[in-house]
Amino acid sequence: MTLSIALFAVLAIAVAASFLARNRARGLRGGGVRLNSLPNYHAAFVGLWAAIPALLFLAVWAPVQTGLIEQTALASPAGQQLPDFDLQRDSILSEAREIATGERSVGFNPEASELAPIFAAAAGRYALAGSAVAILIALGGAFFAMRRVNVDFRARSGVEKLVMALLVGASLIAILTTLGIVLSLLFESLRFFNLVSPVEFLFGSTWSPQTAIRADQAGSSGAFGSIPLFWGTIFIGAIIAMVVAIPLGLMSAIFLTQYAPRRARTWLKPILEILAGIPTVVYGYFAALTVAPAVRDLGISIGISSASSESALAAGLVMGIMIIPFVSSMADDSIAAVPQAMRDGSLALGATKSETIKKVVLPAALPGVVGGVLLAVSRAIGETMIVVMAAGLAANLTANPFESVTTVTTQIVQLLTGDQEFDSAKTLAAFALGLALFIITLILNLIALRVVRKYREAYE
Amino acid sequence: MNSLSSASRWTDGSMRKRVAKRYAAERRFRLFGLAAIALSVAFLAFLLVNMTWKGASGFTRAEVKIALDFPRSDLIVDPAALRGGDAERTLADAGLENVLDQAAVAQFGEGGADLFGGASARELASQLIAEPDLLTRRAELWLPLSSKGDVAAKTDGDPALEQLLAKAEVRRSFNSSFLTSSDATDASVVGVWGALKGSFLTILVTMALAFPIGVLAALYLEEFAARNRWTDMIEVSINNLAAVPSIIFGLLGLAVFLNFMHLPRSAPLVGGLTLALMTMPVIVIAGRNAIKSVPPSIRDAALGVGASKMQVVFHHVLPLALPGILTGTIIGMARALGETAPLLMIGMRAFIASPPQSITEPASVLPVQIFLWSDEVDRGFVEKTSAAIIVLLVFMLLMNGLAIYLRNKFERRW
Repeated sequence: MTLSIALFAVLAIAVAASFLARNRARGLRGGGVRLNSLPNYHAAFVGLWAAIPALLFLAVWAPVQTGLIEQTALASPAGQQLPDFDLQRDSILSEAREIATGERSVGFNPEASELAPIFAAAAGRYALAGSAVAILIALGGAFFAMRRVNVDFRARSGVEKLVMALLVGASLIAILTTLGIVLSLLFESLRFFNLVSPVEFLFGSTWSPQTAIRADQAGSSGAFGSIPLFWGTIFIGAIIAMVVAIPLGLMSAIFLTQYAPRRARTWLKPILEILAGIPTVVYGYFAALTVAPAVRDLGISIGISSASSESALAAGLVMGIMIIPFVSSMADDSIAAVPQAMRDGSLALGATKSETIKKVVLPAALPGVVGGVLLAVSRAIGETMIVVMAAGLAANLTANPFESVTTVTTQIVQLLTGDQEFDSAKTLAAFALGLALFIITLILNLIALRVVRKYREAYE
Repeated sequence: MNSLSSASRWTDGSMRKRVAKRYAAERRFRLFGLAAIALSVAFLAFLLVNMTWKGASGFTRAEVKIALDFPRSDLIVDPAALRGGDAERTLADAGLENVLDQAAVAQFGEGGADLFGGASARELASQLIAEPDLLTRRAELWLPLSSKGDVAAKTDGDPALEQLLAKAEVRRSFNSSFLTSSDATDASVVGVWGALKGSFLTILVTMALAFPIGVLAALYLEEFAARNRWTDMIEVSINNLAAVPSIIFGLLGLAVFLNFMHLPRSAPLVGGLTLALMTMPVIVIAGRNAIKSVPPSIRDAALGVGASKMQVVFHHVLPLALPGILTGTIIGMARALGETAPLLMIGMRAFIASPPQSITEPASVLPVQIFLWSDEVDRGFVEKTSAAIIVLLVFMLLMNGLAIYLRNKFERRW
C-alpha cells in the first residue's frame, strides 16, 4: 500500500513543481520581456516531466515488486522448506500474501503464517525502495524541466510533444490488449496441450472435466473432447437463435424501411434497440425462470419424454430475440444503401412493393444482410449468461432441441468458478476453449467485415 | 388496336385473378413485416411486464401484528442499556429471537416460530431501541415475516404457514431495507446496496480509465495519425476488440491482473480494469465518428489565426465533438454496467455481505448479484432477484435516456 502513497507524493510533486514553474515564468514576464510560451505551458511542461516518468516507473514496478517479494520469500529458510508440488506451494504463498496484507488473519496452512512476516518485511522493503526511486525520478524530472524555464524556451512545443506521446500511447493500448489476449490465451493453452493432446481436444467426443481433489487421484485427468461443446454452441447460437433472429430481424427491417410511416419508425427503432441494451443476465434469468419451464411443458405435451428443464430451445429462443436488433439494424443499413433507381425501375415495370423487395432490393442487399447475420452469429457464439443460466451443463451430442446441451462459454464459466488451482488440466482447459472461441469469432468477424465492405464499395 | 387488346386483358378474368393474387401476396408480406416487429415489441413488453410483476413484490414486505409481553418474557434487558452504541448486540445476546419465537408460538400455535426470522428480529430490535419503554409493557407490534412466511403471505407457499397467516392480521409495507442492506443467506434481509456500491465503484474505475484513453486514442487516429501499417494495425485491433466476446476479456483479466500482477481478487479495481479494456474500443469508435463530423472549416479557421495543430484539436475540435463522445461513452458504460461474464471470471461471484469501502476490497456488482440470487433454492429469492433486475433496468434506462437527451440537446447540423 506504500506504493499508493508514492503515487500521491508524485502527483503532489508534479502539482507543486508546475505552480513553481508558472510563478517563475510569470516572474520572467514581469521584467517586460515577451516569453516564447505562455506561463501555463511552462507549468504544464514541468508538471508533465515530473509526473510521467515517475508514473511509468510505478506502473512497471508494481508487478515487478510482487515477483521480487515472492522470490525473497522462497529464498528464505522457511520458504525453501515448502513442498515442491506447485499447487500446494502456490496456495501457501497466496495465503501468506493475504495474511501479510491483513486480508485474512489465520491461514489454512501452518506454513503460511510462518511465511507471512517474511512477506510483510519484504513487501515493506521493496515498496519503500520503489517509492523512494519514484519520488527521486519525479524530483529529478521536475528539476530538469525547471532548469529549462526561460524566456526563449519553447515550452509549448515541448508540451505538445509530450501530449503527442500520450496520444500515441493511448492508441497503442488497443494493440497491447489484443496482444495480451492472444498471449495469455496461447500461453495457458500451451500448458493445457502439454497435459492433453490437441488431437483429443479437437476431435474427442466426450467431455467430462473431472475435479481432482488430490493430484494423484485416479482418473483425475478427465476427458477433454470438445466436439459436444462446439456442437452445443453451434446448435444454440448458430441454428436455433438464427432461426428466430433472421426472419424476425429481416422482416422488421423491411417493414421499418419500406412500409412503416415515418413517425412509427422513429418510435419503433429505438424500442427494438432496447432489446440489445438489456443486460444478458436479465435474459438469462427470464429464460431460466419463464421460458425454460414453458418449453419443457410444451415438449412433454407433444410427447417428448426427454424434455429437460434446461433446454437448447429455451436458451436459443431467448438468444435469438436478443439478436434481433443486430440483424435488423445491419439489414436496415444495407437495404437503405440500395440505390433508389433500382427500386424505381422495378416499380415502374409494374411490380408490387413486395415483389420489388423480394426480387430486387433483397438480392442487392444480400451481402450486407449476410455480413450482419455472420456478426450476429459471432455474437451469439460468444454470449455467456443466457446459456449459463438456461442451457444446462450436460455435454450432449444431440439434435433434439428439448434436451439439455452445453456450450463453450458455459464450460469456461464452470471450469473457472470452482477451485482456483492454475495448473490442473481442468482450469487450463478453460483457456484452450477461450482460445478456440476467440479464433472462431475472429474469423467470423473478419469474413463479415470483408463481405460488408466489399458490398458497400460496389455502389459508391 | 394493340393497346385496346392489352387494356381488355386487364379486365380479363384470369388476369384479374392474378392481380388479386399479387395484391394478396403484397398484403401478406406487409402483414409478415408488421407481425415480425409486433412480435419483437411484444416480447420486450412481456419481458418487462413479467419482471416488474414478479419483482414489484420484492420491494414490499408482508408484516404481521404480534402481541409481545416483554415483562413476562425471558428477555432481561435494562431499558437504559438500549441507549448505548451496541444496543443491537445487547438485545441479540439477551435472546431476542427466542422471545419472538415463544410469542409467535403462543399466539399462532405450533409452527408459528417459522413465521419469523432474521428480518423480524432485526426490525423488533430497532423498534425497541427507538422506544425502550416498550420493554416495560405488553405491546402489539407489526413485524416483517421470515422469508418462508413472506412467500406464503404474498403468493402460495407452505400450506401450513398459509393457514396460520389466514388467522393473523397481515399488511404490506414498503421494504426500505431492500435498498439499504447487502447480500445475506436469509432472503428476508437481503438488499442491493452492497452490489450497487460495488457497481458504482467498478464503473468509476472503468470510466476513469476508458474515457481518457478512448478519447485520446480517437483523437490520435482521427487527427494526427498518418495512414501507414502501424495505424492500420491499431485500427484493425480496435475493431476486433469491439467484437471479441466479453468472456474473453474475463480470461484476460484473470491471466494478467490476477495471476500475473497479483491484484486483489474480486475487487472493483480489477473488475474496472477488465471492463475498461472492453469499453475502450466502443468509446474510440464513437469518438472517431464524433470527431469526423466536426467540419474541416473550423480546423482551417483555427489554423489560419495561428493555432498549432495541438491547439486546434484541444481547443476547438474536442469541445465540439465532446457531446457525441459523451453519448457513446454513456452507452458503453451502460453496457459495462450490465456485464456479468467477465466479472465471474475474475472472482466477483463471492458471497459478500458488506458493501465495499474502497476499490481494492472484495465486492459484488448488481448483475453478478442477480446471477447469484437466481441460483438460490429459497423461493424468497425469486422476487428479490426480479426486484434487483428492476433496479438494474432502471439504471440502464436512466443511462440510455441520458445519452438520448444529450444527443438531442447537443446534436448540431453544420
